[in-house]
Amino acid sequence: MKPSRKLTRDQRKFRTALIMLAPALIFLALMIAFPLGKVIHDAFTHVHLINKSMTGFAGLENFKTVIEDEHFMEAVQHTVLWTVFSVLGEYVVGMITAVLLNQKFKGRAVFRTFIFIPWLVPIIVAGMTWDWILNPEFGILNYVLKNLGIIETSINFLGNSDYALATVIFVNIWRSFPYYTISFLSAMQSIPGDLSEAAAIDGAGVFRRFFSVTLPQLRSVSLVIVFIHIIWTAVNFDFIWVMTEGGPNYATETLPIMIYRYSMRTFDVGAASALSTMMFTVMVILFIFYYRKRTQISEDMA
Amino acid sequence: MLNKRNRVIAKVITYVLLILFSIYTMFPFVWMLISSFKPKTEIRTATPSFTIDAPTLENFHRVLFDAGFVNYIKNSLIVSVTACVISMIIAVLAGYALSRFYKLKVVKVSNLAMMLSQMIPGVLLLVPLYMIMQMLGILESYRSLILAYTTFVIPLCTFMMSSFFDTVPTALEEAAEIDGCNRAQTLTKVIIPLSIPSLVSTGLYAFINAWNEFMYGYIFISTDTYRTLTPAIMLFKGANTIDWGALMAGSVVAVIPVTFIFLFLQRYFLAGLMAGSVKG
Repeated sequence: MKPSRKLTRDQRKFRTALIMLAPALIFLALMIAFPLGKVIHDAFTHVHLINKSMTGFAGLENFKTVIEDEHFMEAVQHTVLWTVFSVLGEYVVGMITAVLLNQKFKGRAVFRTFIFIPWLVPIIVAGMTWDWILNPEFGILNYVLKNLGIIETSINFLGNSDYALATVIFVNIWRSFPYYTISFLSAMQSIPGDLSEAAAIDGAGVFRRFFSVTLPQLRSVSLVIVFIHIIWTAVNFDFIWVMTEGGPNYATETLPIMIYRYSMRTFDVGAASALSTMMFTVMVILFIFYYRKRTQISEDMA
Repeated sequence: MLNKRNRVIAKVITYVLLILFSIYTMFPFVWMLISSFKPKTEIRTATPSFTIDAPTLENFHRVLFDAGFVNYIKNSLIVSVTACVISMIIAVLAGYALSRFYKLKVVKVSNLAMMLSQMIPGVLLLVPLYMIMQMLGILESYRSLILAYTTFVIPLCTFMMSSFFDTVPTALEEAAEIDGCNRAQTLTKVIIPLSIPSLVSTGLYAFINAWNEFMYGYIFISTDTYRTLTPAIMLFKGANTIDWGALMAGSVVAVIPVTFIFLFLQRYFLAGLMAGSVKG
């Protein structure tokens, strides 16, 4: 009698778990897994958003269209620059602010709020506000820089292809670094204080303490955050679209902007899917690398 | 003595640096706010100033009523609140399963599936999602946005809830079970009342995410009737000569709910976000 009762109890557990997970799984299956399959399928198929008569197996033709696009190599370059410098800047600013906020002083909560706020605003608002600040005719920044004698004539930060990418990266850092601050801060608070105290008694200065005590303790949170942000930044469409739409003259066009251009401007779903598939492949490779590194770190710590 | 002086110096440096960083983070908001109250003549000038000679509400009037932002705000609210409620229900159920039945294979697989889904960026699924919405005939409607916004927050919301449920002792449920409650009753009568703080932070995350989203709103909706706030700001800028005053007034309106929520519920929000992201 007993074993069969136990089995039904396990079965009941299974049924309950399945029912509770079902809504989430249905959403993920229909809205993520199925579209993902479709992207990979469409990458090898002729598909056009308007002209539905375009069908059939395409082989590697869609990939050829993408790679032979005169702006493809440029876009790859922009995507790499955009990602590397954004993440680097966010990491440095996030780390400095976290170290500053990880001390005991009056007004800490207020500063923490001030520093966290950019992360909450819609990207469109961040983009528009900076666009206004940077405006060459009526913008406050050009006015201040001219008054201070730093520049002689106004700089068209977003309209000049020499400055546009750097400017968008700067604004992206402004909006994204607070997430690093908060993550580092919560990781730092779990570092035992006596470690740092012991180092101080041994005569280690502030910088020495940071590099040999604090930083090594942040290895695992750093890895997670940097990895997530490499992905988030590389695939970000909103920021660049909102500020420059990829211009001027393709100076800020990254791969996600190209995906948009293929799908919503030339309606070439096949090419858009091929590009998505290529990006997805790179992401999988990055993920495997990240996963190995993460296992290695947790083994080191054990 | 020297030690004390060093500490004072360290404190001064800390304050100076934090004030500089705060200027960096807050200046755009201050400038946005100032600009939104400036009349046209003070906006379109080569010598902008921090003071307003003739403060006015005309920018707000133009953007809210003439440009129809009242309607866009309503649309954003409908979409965000609905997406938020649906994701909370789904996340509570899935989070509970993840926390209590973690030994089952189906749960382990689901956990992995959610971790992977969290990594898949929306822009790569843009085209197929557009075509799916087209097929379902819901492109110009709230439903397409609600579906998309719900889906993309499910993983993190589930992790946030499950890491909270991990902290609730199972003894509570066992006691309720002895008292004759079934699973559903235990969940609604015992667990949910305990998890209000986590529910708040999960809901806030889902709401803010939907409120701030731009890309899907921009692509799925092309009629004014269903347009949400973020794409509306973008399209408003696209008009021939940019009306910066009204644009800044629109931006102020767009950040109000987020700032409000954050100022009053900051504690909930940050704690929940950290709990979920560490796990995910």
